[in-house]
Amino acid sequence: MKVLVTTALFVLTDAARAEVLLSEDHIQQTLPFGPWPPSFQSDPSNRVSNDTRAIALGAALFNDPVLSVDGAFSCASCHDPEQAFTTFEARALGRVLLDRNSPSLRNLAGLRWYGWGGKSDSLWAASLHPIIEEQEMAHSKESLKTAISESSYIDEFEAMFGDIQTQDPELVLVNTAKTLSAYLETLATDRTQFDDFRDALERRDLAMAANYPEPAQRGLQLFLGRGKCVLCHNGPGFSNNEFHDAGVPYFLSETGVDEGRFGGLNFLLSSAYTLDSEWSDDPDKQGAWVVRSVRRSHSDFGTFRTPSLRGVAETAPYMHDGSLIDLEAVIRHYSEIDTERLHVDGEAILSELNLTEQEVADLAAFLVSLSKAP
Amino acid sequence: MGSETQNAPEAHVAVDEIPLAQPFSILITVCDNTDVGEMRVDALMPAHQHDLNYTPKVTALGDGLFRVDNMLFHMPGLWELQVDVGFGDRSVSYTSNVMLK
Ligand code: HEC
Ligand code: HEC
Repeated sequence: MKVLVTTALFVLTDAARAEVLLSEDHIQQTLPFGPWPPSFQSDPSNRVSNDTRAIALGAALFNDPVLSVDGAFSCASCHDPEQAFTTFEARALGRVLLDRNSPSLRNLAGLRWYGWGGKSDSLWAASLHPIIEEQEMAHSKESLKTAISESSYIDEFEAMFGDIQTQDPELVLVNTAKTLSAYLETLATDRTQFDDFRDALERRDLAMAANYPEPAQRGLQLFLGRGKCVLCHNGPGFSNNEFHDAGVPYFLSETGVDEGRFGGLNFLLSSAYTLDSEWSDDPDKQGAWVVRSVRRSHSDFGTFRTPSLRGVAETAPYMHDGSLIDLEAVIRHYSEIDTERLHVDGEAILSELNLTEQEVADLAAFLVSLSKAP
Repeated sequence: MGSETQNAPEAHVAVDEIPLAQPFSILITVCDNTDVGEMRVDALMPAHQHDLNYTPKVTALGDGLFRVDNMLFHMPGLWELQVDVGFGDRSVSYTSNVMLK
């Protein structure tokens, strides 16, 4: 009899164990990580944004070596649709080994900046640069125009943009990039286990929210609390889309450095393809305030754009140089961060967290839940 | 808004809810009979030693009313709004703390 009672009690406490661990304050801080997916807004600077013909043409071109001068690469060579639109290589292999890791191309619609150093202020500009970049597709405007004219895509291209022979090669380049951008805008990560949790919290359905595993909940507590991750990784995409120093060395060799945001801004401010240029299709130039008012500062040196954490479990290795092989390595990096290596004039945010093994596992469980199907 | 200057003309700032890491606008009213001249607006996070990544755009709407666009707070936490206003040949600085969740 006595034994039976104890068993019954044990079962009861076990069932009651699944609960929401978050404080009310943390619940409130969790809600801005959604809703997901965000509502789609077409890009006013791209007249073929959200156009089904442009999306189809962009998808075909993305996977076709016709966009490289000698047929050596397609965009998909570095942004493989089978590998979450990146590759497993630490640093992208173009005509030479590039300095940076290929980012996954999902959830890019409507951002303020593109590229690790933010050298582009629109998705079509970010799609244009690799076509003419010497170390990547290496086309000239002229060779691109010839390649498109002679390709099997010419009918679709002309159906949208008119007779190619009357178009200046630069216009052909921009139009091509705008179809790529229309396609890339459609790439988004799916809803995750985390999103079900977040939505349940919003509905105050705590029973449903309690299905979210406890290690992930404890990881989220760290993310919001002691880890201070939310200072930079915030909003529905888990990124503020600004530039920070996360303590990753930016030395490329004994002499070379990756200038990060500093170089990105130099590139942007001398680029012909910004939202303030004639190539924007938006008569109101809505996004142009960004390039007009962005400030340069010495502390831009060696800072990089905060990456989104959605789908992050699928895109190892990590950081701008792909130097950290898995999520655990990233968490240990933050845990043991060498504050001596942070910029002297940088923001005083990151400091050694000295996480326990349990905490490392919890943070990893949380990050993985941002990729897990519900 | 507060000012260390003695007898500073009153200034008020009107803000709706501030979105995190997204641009927003504010209205600033300066109550003074004399001519209100130029206004400069900035903000910084005292805890992290950084200011704004974008220069706010100030538009004088007349009668001491100013509209400030392209404000963007890229991190949650305490921000200190700083406003400098020219009155004839003197300039007065105001500050106001804004807590962003
Ligand atoms: C040789 C490998 C390689 C090829 C080929 C390549 N990319 Fe990339 N891509 C990269 C790397 C590396 C970056 C990061 C560059 C940076 O931050 O400076 C990047 C960045 C981007 C970004 C910005 C992503 C973000 O998160 O901001 C876009 C968009 C993009 N590429 C689209 C394309 C398109 C479209 C093509 C084909 C025309 C292409 N890429 C071809 C390696 C490549
Ligand atoms: C000061 C802003 C800031 C804070 C705070 C911050 N991060 Fe980051 N995070 C970044 C930046 C910037 C990068 C890219 C750094 C680089 O490549 O040099 C990054 C990269 C990452 C990556 C790799 C993503 C990828 O695709 O390569 C992960 C994962 C990550 N952070 C998780 C975290 C976690 C977990 C915390 C809290 C312990 C945290 N971050 C705190 C700014 C921040």
